[in-house]
Amino acid sequence: MVLAPHIQFQGDSGARDRARRITGSPALRVVGRRLLAAIPVLIGVTFVTFAVMSALPNDTAQAILGLHASPSAVAALNHTLGLDQPFWQRYWHWLVNVLHGNLGTTVEGSSVNHELAIHVPTTLGLLLYALVVSVVLAIIVATLAARRPNGIVDRLSLVVSMLGLSTAPYVFAFLLIIVFAVKLNWFPVLSGPVTGPGSFFKNLTLPACAIGFGLFAIYTRLLRADIVEQMQREDYIVTAKAKGVAPWRVLTRHALRNSMFNLITVIGLNLGGLVGAAAIIETIFQVQGIGNDLLTGIANHDAPLVEGITLIFALVTVLGNLLADLAYAALDPRIRYGRSNA
Amino acid sequence: MAAPMPDATLATPAPPALPSLVNARRLRTQRLGRGLRLWVPAGVLILLLAICFLLPLVVTLPSSTNGDIIYNNEPPFSPGHWLGTNVQGVDIFSQLVYGGQVAFEVGVAVTLIGFAIGGTIGVVAGYFGGWVDAVLSRVLDILIAFPALVLALVIAEGLGPSEFHVILALSVFGIPAIGRITRGATLAMRGLPYMTAARLSGTRAWRVIARHILPNILPGIVTFSLLGIGVVIILEGALDFLGYGIPAPTASWGNMIANGQQVLTAQPEYVLIPSIALLVTVVALNTLGDALRERWGVQ
Repeated sequence: MVLAPHIQFQGDSGARDRARRITGSPALRVVGRRLLAAIPVLIGVTFVTFAVMSALPNDTAQAILGLHASPSAVAALNHTLGLDQPFWQRYWHWLVNVLHGNLGTTVEGSSVNHELAIHVPTTLGLLLYALVVSVVLAIIVATLAARRPNGIVDRLSLVVSMLGLSTAPYVFAFLLIIVFAVKLNWFPVLSGPVTGPGSFFKNLTLPACAIGFGLFAIYTRLLRADIVEQMQREDYIVTAKAKGVAPWRVLTRHALRNSMFNLITVIGLNLGGLVGAAAIIETIFQVQGIGNDLLTGIANHDAPLVEGITLIFALVTVLGNLLADLAYAALDPRIRYGRSNA
Repeated sequence: MAAPMPDATLATPAPPALPSLVNARRLRTQRLGRGLRLWVPAGVLILLLAICFLLPLVVTLPSSTNGDIIYNNEPPFSPGHWLGTNVQGVDIFSQLVYGGQVAFEVGVAVTLIGFAIGGTIGVVAGYFGGWVDAVLSRVLDILIAFPALVLALVIAEGLGPSEFHVILALSVFGIPAIGRITRGATLAMRGLPYMTAARLSGTRAWRVIARHILPNILPGIVTFSLLGIGVVIILEGALDFLGYGIPAPTASWGNMIANGQQVLTAQPEYVLIPSIALLVTVVALNTLGDALRERWGVQ
C-alpha cells in the first residue's frame, strides 16, 4: 500500500522489473541451462546408437526381399533405402527427419511414429504403475521403520529391501508367475492387450510388481536412512519435540517432509534405468510395449525402430534428471534462495 | 620431573566409581553383531567361490553340458545327481558349479575393466577440472543417458555370443557408473587442505593422484564395486536369459533359468535352483558391501 505511489511514479520500470524477474528467475535459468546441456547428450546418444546399429551386418534389404532375392535386387533396394550411403550421411538424414517429426520406417514397412504411438502408452502405463506403487509403499514402510530404528519393523524392512535389491527382476517375475498365475490363477501368465482400466490392472499388475520390487527396495532403504538421520541430527526436530509436537507428527510432518527431496532426486535419476528393466519384463509377460519392440528391433537389425526407441529412452532420462533438479529446487527453499543469492 | 605434589592432593580418596555410561554387555553384542555382519557374508562368498572353482579340481563332477537322456528329469537327491538332472539328463549341480564360474568371472572382469577405464576417466576429470572435466563428463553423461541394455544387446548381436563379448557388453554399463563415482570422490578430495599443500610443494600431478587421491577414494570405490559385481551378475543372467549371453551348451545360471522357463509349471525347481544360487550370491555381495561401508564410514 505504502509502496504503491512509488511504483506509479517509476512508470514503465515496473514492467522492466517484471521482465528481469522472469529472466532472472533461478528456476527458469536452470531449465534453460539444463535443456541446452541436454542437446549434445541427445545427439551423442543417437549418434552412438546409429554407429553401433550400422556396425551390425547390413541385411535389411535381404530381410525385406527374402533369402532367394538376387544380389542386384538387394543392391537396388539398398540404394532406394539409402543404405549404401556412408553412415554419417544417413545419420544426418535421420536427424533432419527427426527434427521434422518423422522417425522413419521400420524394416517391416510400417512407420516408426505409428509403432511408437501404439506401444509407448502401454510401457508408460506399466512404468508409472510400478513407480507409483513402489513409491507409496516405500514411504509408508520407511516411515514405520524409522519410527523405531532397530525395532522389529525396521529389521523386517531391512531384510525385505535387501532381498529386493538382490533379486533379479526376471527371477522375481517367474516367482510371481508360479504363485499368482499358475497356482492361484489370479492373473494371466501372458499379458493380453490393454483396452481399459480393468484389463490394465489384470494384465499389468504382475509385470509392474516385477519391476517395482527392486525400486521399492532402493527407495525404502534410502528414505529410511534419510529420515533416521534427520531425526538424529537436525535442530528443527529438537525444536519440534521441545514444543511438544506429538512424536508421530514430528516424524511425518517434519522429518519425512525434509527427507522427500533426496527420494525425488533418486526417482528422477532412476527413470533411465527403468527402461532396461521394462525390456526384460515385457518379453517375459509378452506385454506389447516398446521394451518388447526394442528386443525384436535388435534381433531384426531394425535400425530406425531401435533409433526411435533409444531416442525416447534418452529423452526420458534427460527429462527425469531435469525434473528431479527442478522439483528439488521448487520444494526446498534452502536451495532456491541459495541459488538466487549466488 | 614434575613438582612434588602436596600431600593433601595425594591423600584424597579415590572418587567412587561412576556408573558406566556404556553397558559392557551391550557393547560386546554390538561388536559381535558388527563382526558377524562382515564375516558371515564374506564366509558365504568364500564358500561359493571354493565350490565353484576348487571343487571341480578335487572331485570329478558329471559333465555340465552333456547328459544321459536315460537319466533325465531325475528328482533332487537321486544317486549320483544330488540336485537331480534336467530334461536332457544334464546334472544340475554341475551346471550350477560351472555356471557360477561364469558368473564370478564376468562380474569380476567387468568391474576390473570399469575400474581401469571408468576410474581413470573419473580421477582425471575430477582432478584436472576445466575443459578436460567438461569433455569427459559429457562422455559419461552420454553413456549414462544411453540405455546400457541396448548397447549390450547390439554388441552381443553384432559380435556373436561368447563370454568375452558379454564382458565387453556389460563394461558399457560398468564404466560410466564407476567413472561418475570416482569423479565425485576426487572432486570432494580436491578442495582439502592437504591436497593444496601437496600441490604447493610442487608434487607432480600423477604423484598427487597416486599417493593422495587413490588411497583416499579406494574404500568408497571398493564397496561400490562389490555392489556393482552383484548387479553385473544379475545383468549377465539377463543377457543369457534373452539369448544374447553365454552360448547355449555352456552352463550359466541365466541359461538354466531360461531353459527351466519352458517347464515352469511342471518343474518349477529348474528355475528355482539357479535363482536361489543367484540370490544367495548377490545377497552375500550386497551385505558384504554394506558391512564394509559401515566399517570404513563411506557414504
